[in-house]
Amino acid sequence: MTDRSHLVGHTYTPYTFPVEHGKVREFAQAVKDEDPVYRDVVAARDAGYRHLPAPPTFSAVTSHWAVRDADVLRLDLRRVLAGGAEWEYMSEIVAGDVLTVRSHIAEVRKKTGSRGPMTLIITEYDFVNQHEETVMRLRSTVIEMGEQ
Amino acid sequence: MTEPDTAPVTVAGPVPAAPERRIGPLTRTDFVRYAGAGGDFNPIHHDETFARSAGYPAVFGHGLLTAGILGGYVASWLGRRNLRRFNVRYVGQVWPGDTLVLSGEVLRTGTGPDGSVEVEVGLAVHSEADGREPRLVLRGGATAAYPAPGSEI
Repeated sequence: MTDRSHLVGHTYTPYTFPVEHGKVREFAQAVKDEDPVYRDVVAARDAGYRHLPAPPTFSAVTSHWAVRDADVLRLDLRRVLAGGAEWEYMSEIVAGDVLTVRSHIAEVRKKTGSRGPMTLIITEYDFVNQHEETVMRLRSTVIEMGEQ
Repeated sequence: MTEPDTAPVTVAGPVPAAPERRIGPLTRTDFVRYAGAGGDFNPIHHDETFARSAGYPAVFGHGLLTAGILGGYVASWLGRRNLRRFNVRYVGQVWPGDTLVLSGEVLRTGTGPDGSVEVEVGLAVHSEADGREPRLVLRGGATAAYPAPGSEI
């Protein structure tokens, strides 16, 4: 199995993306969330938000914006599984905000599970808004199963 | 730290019992819609030929699709604005035709560092399909914070 332990601490190029009204609505629809605060600005304002709030797992949309640096992980997609994720919400994120994403590889761990050897790669993401306020943190685990 | 002069937090806390919610059956179109919304185009989630070449019987849903559906559930149960932490661990695949069964329970009610009432919950997603036993596909948890009783909001 590829040894990736030297990648711990690797920092990805930061990037900035706008939280868009249409994207909030599209994302909420994709996760089958029918709360009107994600599509109706009036409902959002009535609920006390400045604009449509970001759904809890909205961090996923950054795949559209992330800078594709050199592929340091070189994962074999046939053997990759999502392991899990943890979100921490520090402050509100609404449509119209502009977020900067700073991320790095926090941990690389080898493990043997019921399906054989695997590598766990944990990446941490900080989301910082236009007022330099860290509004959300994400810790995400990707698993690469060993070659058969 | 001196204890504030307020009534002790009761075990019941500010959270109602978790509703059970069913979502589905999920289709390949749901997976493709999520790929487009989130931007994760790993072909294992939409390309049947690729999924089979990797040894799977079919394409399967993104872990983050199940997590996103659960996120909506926990936000409506605990209140979106009260949510402080949310975590998920994927334990099984979601196949086309599966219906997700979402459930939760309050694990602990306590006082947060700022005096707020903190509620910690456990979450689970089971997958049901015709002719198959329900399978656990995701285990998760969340923490929500509420203003202390009697405090100004």
